[in-house]
Amino acid sequence: MVTAQQAPAAEPSAAQVAGRRFRAARGVVLVIAALILVAIALAALKPAVTPQYLDPESPSRGGSRALAEILRQHGTNVAVARSAEDAADRAGAGSVTVVTRPERLTAGDLERLRAVPGDLLLVEPSQRVLAALAPGVETAEESFEPAADPGCGLPAATAAGRIKLGGSESYHAPAGATGCYLAGKYPRLVQLAVGGRTVTVLGAASVLTNDKLAAEGNAALAMNLAGARSAVVWLIPDLPREGETAGDQSIGGLLPFGVKLLILQLLVAVVLVALWRARRLGPVVAEALPVAVRSAEAVEGRARLYRAHRARDRAADALRTGARERLVPRLGLPRGAAQDPAAAREIVTAVARRTSYDEATVGAALYGPDPADDAALVGLSDLLDDLERQVRQS
Amino acid sequence: MALTGRLGLLAALAALVPLFFPSWGALLAVWGVLLLGVLADLALAGNVRGLAFHRSGDTNVRLGESAHVALTVENLGKRRVRARLRDAWPPSAGAAPRVTRVDVPAGERRRVEMTLTPTRRGDRHAVTVVVRSVGPLGLAARQLSRKAPWRLRVLPGFPSRRHLPAKLSKLRELTGNHVSMVRGQGTEFDSLREYVAGDDVRSIDWRATARRADVVVRTWRPERDRRLYLVLDTGRTAAGRVGDVPRLDCSMDAALLLGALASRAGDRVDLLAYDRRVRARVEGTSRTDLLTAMVQAMAPLEPELIESDAAGMVSTLMSRVRQRCLVVLLTELNTAAIEEGLLPLLPQLTARHLVMIAAVSDPRVSEMAAGRGDLVAVYDAAAAERARAERGRLTAELRSYGVEVVDAPPDELAPALADAYLALKAAGRL
Repeated sequence: MVTAQQAPAAEPSAAQVAGRRFRAARGVVLVIAALILVAIALAALKPAVTPQYLDPESPSRGGSRALAEILRQHGTNVAVARSAEDAADRAGAGSVTVVTRPERLTAGDLERLRAVPGDLLLVEPSQRVLAALAPGVETAEESFEPAADPGCGLPAATAAGRIKLGGSESYHAPAGATGCYLAGKYPRLVQLAVGGRTVTVLGAASVLTNDKLAAEGNAALAMNLAGARSAVVWLIPDLPREGETAGDQSIGGLLPFGVKLLILQLLVAVVLVALWRARRLGPVVAEALPVAVRSAEAVEGRARLYRAHRARDRAADALRTGARERLVPRLGLPRGAAQDPAAAREIVTAVARRTSYDEATVGAALYGPDPADDAALVGLSDLLDDLERQVRQS
Repeated sequence: MALTGRLGLLAALAALVPLFFPSWGALLAVWGVLLLGVLADLALAGNVRGLAFHRSGDTNVRLGESAHVALTVENLGKRRVRARLRDAWPPSAGAAPRVTRVDVPAGERRRVEMTLTPTRRGDRHAVTVVVRSVGPLGLAARQLSRKAPWRLRVLPGFPSRRHLPAKLSKLRELTGNHVSMVRGQGTEFDSLREYVAGDDVRSIDWRATARRADVVVRTWRPERDRRLYLVLDTGRTAAGRVGDVPRLDCSMDAALLLGALASRAGDRVDLLAYDRRVRARVEGTSRTDLLTAMVQAMAPLEPELIESDAAGMVSTLMSRVRQRCLVVLLTELNTAAIEEGLLPLLPQLTARHLVMIAAVSDPRVSEMAAGRGDLVAVYDAAAAERARAERGRLTAELRSYGVEVVDAPPDELAPALADAYLALKAAGRL
C-alpha cells in the first residue's frame, strides 16, 4: 500500500497566496469600483448640452426657452439649429432665422447664411457679421440705458412700446433703413431690406432672455420680431470644432505612425520598470516600538513653564531652598533648620561669619524679596553659588 | 514571479524598432520576443519551490552581544538553484547580512550564517525567508517567501556584573574565615575553637572552657538562608528613559547584581514583576539556576503604560511570603505615585518585612541644577532644584517608616544597592 507523503507544514501555493491577497484587498477594490460606477452614472446623468446664453432649450435666466414656448403656443414652428448648415437646411422662404451668438460663426457659415431664404434676425452681431449679412449697418457704441421708447414708425416696435434692456449695442443705420430705440442718436434696432428679404439687427439680446422677457414690452417686441413669419429657425451655433477653421491639423495627425508606436513602446517599458521596482524582496517588517519618554521631561516642562510665565518668585524660592538645604549640614545645624523660619537669623549669621559677605547681603540672598527682573534672578543664582563655594572651602 | 530591470531596459531600447519598421507587426513581434524571454526565464530559473529551510544556532543572547543563527538551505528539487536570499528579521534584531547569494546544487544543502546584534531586550522572531532565483537571460525571476521560524531571546545586558567580584570579596570579608568577627545582633553561632591572643574575650564560651582544659571561644558568622524578595515595578514610571535606557532596564541590572550576590551569600532570592498584575515571577529556584531563571523571566518584560497598583502588589507579596524577608522594591521615587499608592500600605508591609526601595535618579536633573549663566539655564536649575527637593522630601518620609532608600544614577544604582544589602547583612538586620 502506498501512502502519499505529506509535507510537514503545508506551504500556501501561489494561487492560495494570490487568493488571500485578493480577499484582503477586496474591500478596497469594491470601494474603488463603486466610485468609478458613481462617476460614470453622474457623467451619464449630466445634460449633454450645458445651459447657455440665448439657448431656446435652456430654462435658466440667460436662456430663451420662454420665448420659444410662447412662439410655439401661437402656432409658430420653432426649429433649433446648432450649426449654420442645419439652419440653412431648415430655413424656407416663409421663415425667420434668428441668429444668436453670431461671434461663433466662421467665414464659411456667414457665406451659407447669406444664401438662406427668408428673413434674418441678427442678435448683437459684430462688425464682421454685419458686413456679411447687413451691409451698410455698422456698430456705433455701447449703451447702458435701462429702458427705451420706440421713437420710430416700425409697427413691431410701436406695437410693443417701451422696452426694458440691459447693456446693448447701437448701430449706424444706412439710408433707407429704419432705426428704433435710439441710444443718443444711434438706434439699437435696425431693420433694412437686403436683396429682397428683411434683415433685422437687434442690439439688445436681453430682450429675448427668460429673465427679462416679462418686463415692459419686451415680450411683445420679441414676438413681433421673431414671430413675424410662419416659422422660426433658431440658430445657436456650437463652438467651431478643431480643424474646421484654418488648415491647421492636430498634433496626432502630424506625427508619423512609427513615433506613435515608439511612444506606446516606451509606455510599456515604463510599466515594466514599475513592475520591477514594485516587487520587493520580501515584505517590509514592522515591529512595535517601545515608548521613548525622557525621564527628565516633567522637570524640563516645569522649567519651560517657569520661563513662559516669568515665574521669578517661584524660581528664586526653589534656588534658595536648595542652597539652604546644602548649606545647613555644613554649618553644623540640624537638617530641619533649612525649612524653619525661626532659624533664619542663625543661618544668616553663621554663613556671614564663614564668607566674605556681610549679613545684609547673605540675608537678602537666602531670604530676600523676589528678584525684580531677569538680571536679578541670574545674579541671585550666582550669589548663592558663591556662598555655597565659600562655605564649602571655609 | 518577479521582473528585472534588464527587461525594462530591453523594452525601452526596443522602442527604437518601430522607428525603422513603423507597423503594428513589428511592435507585436517585439512584445512576442520579450514575452518569450520572460517565459523562458521562468521555465529555466532554479525551482525555489523545492527549497527547504532549517535553522540552528543561538537561542539566547545578552543585549549588546552578537548571536549567530545559521539558516540551512536544502535543495530538494532536481536542478541547481542560484538565488538571492533575504532572511527577514525585525529591524531591532540587527540581522546581517541583509541579502546573500546562495548556490545550491540539486540534493545538497548550504548554510547561510546570520549575525544578529539586537538593539533591544525581548524576544525576536524570524519573520520570513525570501528567495529570488533569476533565469539565465536575466529578464524574470521566480520568487518565494517561506516561513522558517526561530526565536532569539535577548536577555538583559547585566553590565553591572563587572562589580560582582568586588562585592563578592566584600561578602567574603563578612562570611569568610574571619574568625575574629565582631559578635553582632543578627549573627549566628558557627563553631568553637581554641582561644588565640586577640580574640574578643566576650566570645569565650565558659561552659565549653570548663569542659576542656583550654580556653575556648565561639565563632560567629553572618546569618544564612534569609529570604530576599525583589519586586520590579513595570508600570508607567518604568518607561521613562534615563540617558537612552529605560528605567526598567536599570532596575533589572541592579536586581541581577543583587540576586547574584545574595545567592552566593547563601540567601534565597525570589523575583516578582508587577504593575497591575503579575508580569513575571521566579520563586524557589536553586542557587545555581537563579541567575538564568531571572534573566529568562526578565527578557520579555516591557514597561506598561499604566499606573502601577501598589495595593495589588502588596497583597500579592503578603500572600506569597509568610516569613520575614527583605523586600527590595525597584521603582521610581515619583511623589504622586508613591504617596497615593505605596505610602498608606507601608506600615502593613514593614510590620512583617524589611523594605528597601531602589530608584534610578536622572543625571540630567543634576546637570540642569548646575546650570548657570543665562536665564534659560537658571529657570532650568530652579525646576531641577524643586524636583530634587520633592525627591528628598519623599525619601525622608519613606525613611521615617523604616524603609531603606537607595537613590542613585543609573551606572551607580547596582553597586549602591549591593552595598546597602551588604551593610544590612553585616549589621545582621536581615
